[in-house]
Amino acid sequence: MRRALWIIGFLALQAACIWMVQPDLARLWAGLPRLAGWIVGGFPPDFSGFGDLAARAAETVAVATLGTTLAAVLALPLALAAARPANPVPWLYHPVRTLLDALRGIDGFVFALILVAAVGLGPFAGMLGVALHSAGSLGKLWSEALEAADPAPMEAARSAGAGRAQAAAVVLLPETLPQTASATLYVWEFNIRASTVLGLVGAGGIGQELKNAVDLLDFSRVLAILALIVAMTLAADRLSAALRARLL
Amino acid sequence: MLKADPGLVVRGLGATLGGRAVLRDVALDVAPGEVVAMTGASGAGKTTLLRAIAGLLPATGTIRAGGQPALVFQQHALASRLTARDNVLVGGLRRIGFWRAALRLWPRKELQEAEACLDRVGLAGLGLRRADRLSGGQRQRVAVARALHQRARILLADEPVASLDPALAEGILSLLRDLARRDGLAVLVSLHQHDLADRYADRLLHLEDGCLRTA
Repeated sequence: MRRALWIIGFLALQAACIWMVQPDLARLWAGLPRLAGWIVGGFPPDFSGFGDLAARAAETVAVATLGTTLAAVLALPLALAAARPANPVPWLYHPVRTLLDALRGIDGFVFALILVAAVGLGPFAGMLGVALHSAGSLGKLWSEALEAADPAPMEAARSAGAGRAQAAAVVLLPETLPQTASATLYVWEFNIRASTVLGLVGAGGIGQELKNAVDLLDFSRVLAILALIVAMTLAADRLSAALRARLL
Repeated sequence: MLKADPGLVVRGLGATLGGRAVLRDVALDVAPGEVVAMTGASGAGKTTLLRAIAGLLPATGTIRAGGQPALVFQQHALASRLTARDNVLVGGLRRIGFWRAALRLWPRKELQEAEACLDRVGLAGLGLRRADRLSGGQRQRVAVARALHQRARILLADEPVASLDPALAEGILSLLRDLARRDGLAVLVSLHQHDLADRYADRLLHLEDGCLRTA
């Protein structure tokens, strides 16, 4: 009975989603030849002016890297306040956790869209967008690592007369470094992928080139840019995985 | 005139955990230079008593001590990624400002004192080794050194040899006794092993149903 209710609930959810999305296989079927034509017509990819493309790709990496760094700076005090063993001001616990959820809930792309209007076009707005969203993600991941840490060393420090924040800084942060550093690398790697589309809202990086190529229906160029994005994200994946393996 | 060290004096101590009275009207004295061992079944309240004396649990009654007692935890409670010396320095955090400690800008005097504490527990030269690369006996010695670095006159040890083999256990208890004799510390240690308690303590106490009796 219980299982049947679960199955009925799941099917009802899927039905509601289908009603809202209205998937249309006929439209997909009709569009496939057009898509195939674009892909075939895109060969060979157009890598002319590779230096400019590479510079845009580097800009994407810079946006992700600086955004993650700023996010880490913002996330540190928030994570400490959102972790019970480290929080010296208990009433801040729930408001800070809510703030972290809010920051995480708004995508970096949306932040960038708003920030482009506030600070102007370019990678600076993109970097700020990435930083705000990632501060929420990092704060949440770090606070969970802090809360899961062995409480005994903290208790020993507290019994020796250390304040909660002092004990957290001296004992808890070094103890959770493998987890927090690994989470930071994961967020950085995610940000490189996410930053590739920031150019669509004028927030710099290789996404800007992609948008220009799509607008001009220049599919040889689109393929070249996609190849560069794949190479860049794979490289970031590998580097991040290698560093995480060393940390854990 | 110097005030005489009172050692540890506990009177009428009571403690409640989860609505259950774990300790009732406990009275005990530990003189400077004396080692008192406390035995009792698991759950008898040994850890609760030590934690109450250390100020980690709320308790009723009076505790008179020449300063804040230092507690050596059962499973050493070291920060595994910190060096032995940094773990010892944790014992002195009360004396160091937040930023100096957070940025690891330890005062020279604290560093020298931490090294001296490691020396006192027989770990000279191992200060820069990470805690997770030390043996079980060495870790417990670091925990004792951390307690010494608190400059406490009273050392409380909660089953400090529970996870050690017999030879290492004797080494730790011998160290605690030496510290009591040499430095005049008042040492209260909880133990499961009656034979070790007999050999290394000056007096034995037995905790049963929340009450402390002479064994």
